[in-house]
Amino acid sequence: MALIEIAGLEVVFAARGEAVRAVRGIDLSVEPRESFGLVGESGSGKSTVLRALCGLAPVSAGRALIDGRAPPALGRIGSRDRAFARRVQMVFQDPYGSLHPRHTVDRVLSEPLLVHGLGGRRERDRRVEAALQDVGLDASFRFRYPHQLSGGQRQRVAVARALMLEPSVLLLDEPTSALDASVQAEVLNLLSRLREERGLTFLMVSHDFAVIDHMCDRLAVMQQGRIVEVLDREALARGAVREDYTRALLAASQAHAPVQ
Amino acid sequence: MKPLLEVEDLKVAFDTPGGRVEAVRGVSFTLGRERLGIVGESGSGKTMTGRAILRLVQPPGRVTAKRLAFDGRDLLSLPERGMRALRGRRLAMVMQDPKYSLNPVMTVGRQLTEGLRRRDRLSAGAARRRAVAMLEAVQIRDPERVMGAYPHELSGGMGQRVMIAMMLIPEPDLLIADEPTSALDVTVEAEVLRILDGLVRERGLGLIFISHDLPLVARFCDRVLVMYAGRVVESLAASELEQARHPYTRGLLRCLPAVGGPRGPLPTLRRDPGWAE
Repeated sequence: MALIEIAGLEVVFAARGEAVRAVRGIDLSVEPRESFGLVGESGSGKSTVLRALCGLAPVSAGRALIDGRAPPALGRIGSRDRAFARRVQMVFQDPYGSLHPRHTVDRVLSEPLLVHGLGGRRERDRRVEAALQDVGLDASFRFRYPHQLSGGQRQRVAVARALMLEPSVLLLDEPTSALDASVQAEVLNLLSRLREERGLTFLMVSHDFAVIDHMCDRLAVMQQGRIVEVLDREALARGAVREDYTRALLAASQAHAPVQ
Repeated sequence: MKPLLEVEDLKVAFDTPGGRVEAVRGVSFTLGRERLGIVGESGSGKTMTGRAILRLVQPPGRVTAKRLAFDGRDLLSLPERGMRALRGRRLAMVMQDPKYSLNPVMTVGRQLTEGLRRRDRLSAGAARRRAVAMLEAVQIRDPERVMGAYPHELSGGMGQRVMIAMMLIPEPDLLIADEPTSALDVTVEAEVLRILDGLVRERGLGLIFISHDLPLVARFCDRVLVMYAGRVVESLAASELEQARHPYTRGLLRCLPAVGGPRGPLPTLRRDPGWAE
């Protein structure tokens, strides 16, 4: 059975008395240990799909299930939500905005353990140290504040936090688009290594075709709330693309392609 | 022909409680009526170089240079009054993020016409016509509606085009564009680049294009300066990027993923302390 199952998903927001249909009926399924990408321009609904999957956006119609279960209800926290949080975690685009500015790295990383009542003080210490090491940060980072870290180091902390509860699914929303190219390469390598080591399932959103192609086995191209085309990596490499929209996005990304 | 801008040994330093921070450490270049790209990672000093040219570096930042001249006039000795007059008419800068650079409580129309009315003493009607024409020039389809809108009612791409329109209304000779497209989708980015390109070709604008995106700059600009730790480590024609020699430039190019590229770990940049010397 697929680990992530989305069928007929619609997300509708009310804005100024008007209904905005951000996601307009999409279907997709992601197998365990697969890495699946959503690519499209801003406003295409790709981030909203991730948000609906973890309960941050309303599922207006259809379903968005992870491991057969629907996300927790918006704005309510219960024991069921804690179980959900242990299976699914999200990494956001902006490491400047997603870490609490007045919490040390140590607090950021130990909080999930405290909330979930995992381990005593020594066990937490051990797990925080191990988590830092896993994302390539040495122990000197443990008591620093976010403003004392570079963008890449912050995103490493965000990845470490997402992994504290040992989830099986990571939802990645443009995890490297705020980073310089050299730092992007390091963070992408880190994510690939962790996926392999831990058998993680990725659903990753990016506007950058090359990033999605590098990281994902299959991808869906989104436009105006709909999926216009699903491709696997091999089809992409052969250029077996059906839709003009995909071709246009691809051409734009190849115009940026590095010189070999 | 005399260059539009001459920069020789430009330095920007900040005296902080933690010691002296040198953001720009001796940058030299000249600019004609061309597209010059400045690339580098965050913290390399590229934005500070742009701001220093316009004398927009605030204390405790200090700017020094052997020569900093625009159209033959020394900018460093110019009184602030004269500088302000130049900035309004002949020098302009487009910032990265329209969200923070447009006034959130003023309609687009008022922001666009403010300079025309105060500086150029145009009537309300004439200023409005100029502003609408400029919005059309940056490919805004519904300029009348946009004139009455507040910045938060515009998408990122529209906001960025409004900022470009605002900077172009006084028809500057030199435009410094700091990451003008990095918040935009690829299709809107192409449109903005086309607009800038048209201005260089048709109106002889001198353009400094600051970006962290090396391939984009290589495609769009005539010449590229590569900055690292406050210095220019390499300067080359955009078409010769493939032959870049400096290991930093080469490293920056190699670490980008490519569609259909190999699947293994991406090459990462190993920084040599010697690059900053």
